[in-house]
Amino acid sequence: MSAHQVTPNESKYAASARNFRNNVARDLNNAELRENFHGAMHYLRDKRSAAFPQQDELETLREQCKLIKQRCLAKLPYLLEQLEENLTSNGIKVHWAESTSQANDIIATLIEEKSGSQVVKGKSMVSEETALNDFLEQRNIECLESDMGEYIVQLAKEHPSHIIMPAIHQNKKQVADLFKQNISDFSYTTDVDELINVGRNILRDKFCQADVGVTGVNFAVAETGTLCLVENEGNGQMCTTVPPLHIAITGIEKVVEMLDDVPPLLSLLTRSATGQIMSTYFNMISHPRQIGEKDGAQEVHLVLLDNGRSQAFADEELRQTLQCIRCGACMNHCPVYTRIGGHAYGTVYPGPIGQIVSPHMLGLEPTKDLPTASSLCGACGEVCPVKIPIPKLLLRLRQESVKKQDGNSQVMKGEGVGRSNIEAMVWKAWAGVHRHSSIYNFSMWWLTRLRKLMPSKLGVWTSVRTAPKPAAKTLHERVKKHQSSGAK
Amino acid sequence: MTKLQHNIARANILAKLKQQVAGADYTKLPIETPYHYPEIEREQQISQFITHLTNNHAQVIKTTQAALAEQVADILNTLKIENLLYGKDSTYSQEIEQLNPTVKLQAFDFTLEDKKEHLFNNTPASITSSHASIAATGCIVLWPSKNEPRTMSLIPPVHIVIVDANDLYSDFASLVKAQQWQNKLPTNVLLISGPSKTADIQQTLAYGAHGPEKLFVLLLNS
Repeated sequence: MSAHQVTPNESKYAASARNFRNNVARDLNNAELRENFHGAMHYLRDKRSAAFPQQDELETLREQCKLIKQRCLAKLPYLLEQLEENLTSNGIKVHWAESTSQANDIIATLIEEKSGSQVVKGKSMVSEETALNDFLEQRNIECLESDMGEYIVQLAKEHPSHIIMPAIHQNKKQVADLFKQNISDFSYTTDVDELINVGRNILRDKFCQADVGVTGVNFAVAETGTLCLVENEGNGQMCTTVPPLHIAITGIEKVVEMLDDVPPLLSLLTRSATGQIMSTYFNMISHPRQIGEKDGAQEVHLVLLDNGRSQAFADEELRQTLQCIRCGACMNHCPVYTRIGGHAYGTVYPGPIGQIVSPHMLGLEPTKDLPTASSLCGACGEVCPVKIPIPKLLLRLRQESVKKQDGNSQVMKGEGVGRSNIEAMVWKAWAGVHRHSSIYNFSMWWLTRLRKLMPSKLGVWTSVRTAPKPAAKTLHERVKKHQSSGAK
Repeated sequence: MTKLQHNIARANILAKLKQQVAGADYTKLPIETPYHYPEIEREQQISQFITHLTNNHAQVIKTTQAALAEQVADILNTLKIENLLYGKDSTYSQEIEQLNPTVKLQAFDFTLEDKKEHLFNNTPASITSSHASIAATGCIVLWPSKNEPRTMSLIPPVHIVIVDANDLYSDFASLVKAQQWQNKLPTNVLLISGPSKTADIQQTLAYGAHGPEKLFVLLLNS
């Protein structure tokens, strides 16, 4: 199996990311969707803001957590080895996967070895990354999402539109309609408590029957060999505690060095994500069920996935992408995400973090348009709890996508794929004009005199804007005139 | 994936990462300055703990060890619940056993596999002790044990937890430090800040998503 083998699932995301501009047009025209996102983002922004009443506390924590993540990344290979050693001695088995298809193979094999047929899954974006549900379904293994939002999204045969609130694009009426279509004895209601209760009853039966639980990991602690999970619903705990086999999957960047690193990161994560000072549950797993214990998974496995992360790691600037703790604050504050929603991006991770992380996972060829979908307003960078300079990284990815291939070692898969010779020539000419004052003045004089010839339609630019019109006289001429009149 | 492929994946990932950090000097990393929270009085900590839990829809009842059985009987009576799951030989098992025979007590003296359906379908409430608690975030810390397994706080729709105010810590970081957690962690540690909830449908909070719908905290404050 080659590391860069493209699986049908990888190409599913690549294909939809490649279709980004059409997706945007489609979703901008969906008034209901826009209203759903507008309301949800407003809610999440207010909640976050209320959770950080003291600016100095927020800023101190952000700086501290940035440095924690940078330290952990600086030691990443050694921490991964330490994590593996400690998990192994705690009785938890560790597996490594370079690609999503390897990760899926590992998980399917573990399930099949136990003759498992029913999987319940806690919320895990990494398992979305590997499209695990589709993969297991092909092998006749039922894989049911158990987070309420993920359950809704799975029923609708969609993927999450937000990394924290996966079904944010649906309103309660849409959820009720979905339940009506899919749940046989559902008596129609749009009452949220009743809807949740319907999900609760169905899923509790499933927890009781399942033979495998799959979850993600928020922090993997190298020092103690501990897997930490943040959640509100209790489904994560159900998945880790009730079925006899628990398989956790996570990206290699989720490892932290010490247990002491966890409290500040946790505090920033829950407050940045949903504005909660603490999630309802924080679950720390260090062993499978030990002798004499009466519950808990008897076998626990961890799958560590690369999938492009080592590519980001190799460049010091791009490595900052891996500081992310997946809180979703960047998308909540992004004016583009708020308007186009999460599905338009086409990738597993939407919004600003998706724009900087997806090119490493899928290559720049299908994702080259994503970094351009930003006004560079800077909001994402300002709210990021670990201070990832997202706008700077967006610019860097724009450069990578149009970079000239000079035979030097490659920074990114698909770099230079968006390069257009005409565009490159235009910029070269522009730079030349601006370097030589005589050519500059000459061109500007003619440009102002020929202003009437400026076309009113300039392709995409004027589809939503009026065409620019040069002034009657150049700035130089006007300053000169102003100075001479002032001298009199 | 065969063992060989597994080893290749591991070796490739580690080699790629190690190549980038070769020769790194870890003695020169920048200092990470934590935020210093103002120290607050014990009574304030207790009220902080109660406020946070209450905001998260937990019910906090101040009581004493001697009055435990009576409080639990009251709660169950109000909810019209007759059965209670508890842990034999646990910290407060003697007090809980006083509830006999008005409440049908069931000890968790079986393995999960033996009575899974019973736990899911016929266990309306449970009671456990706690390992510690956290004021700043209103958290109860459980270190589930052989006597009080972890599903006790997860599967029954009502969870009653006994918290000794002497085990209250100002925040999570100081708890981890004071008890030197890095030296010894149990199979599972749980921090709980309220009943199970979700806001996944139109940002509307609903309680009892998968875990307990109700959380009662009996706070012993001597």
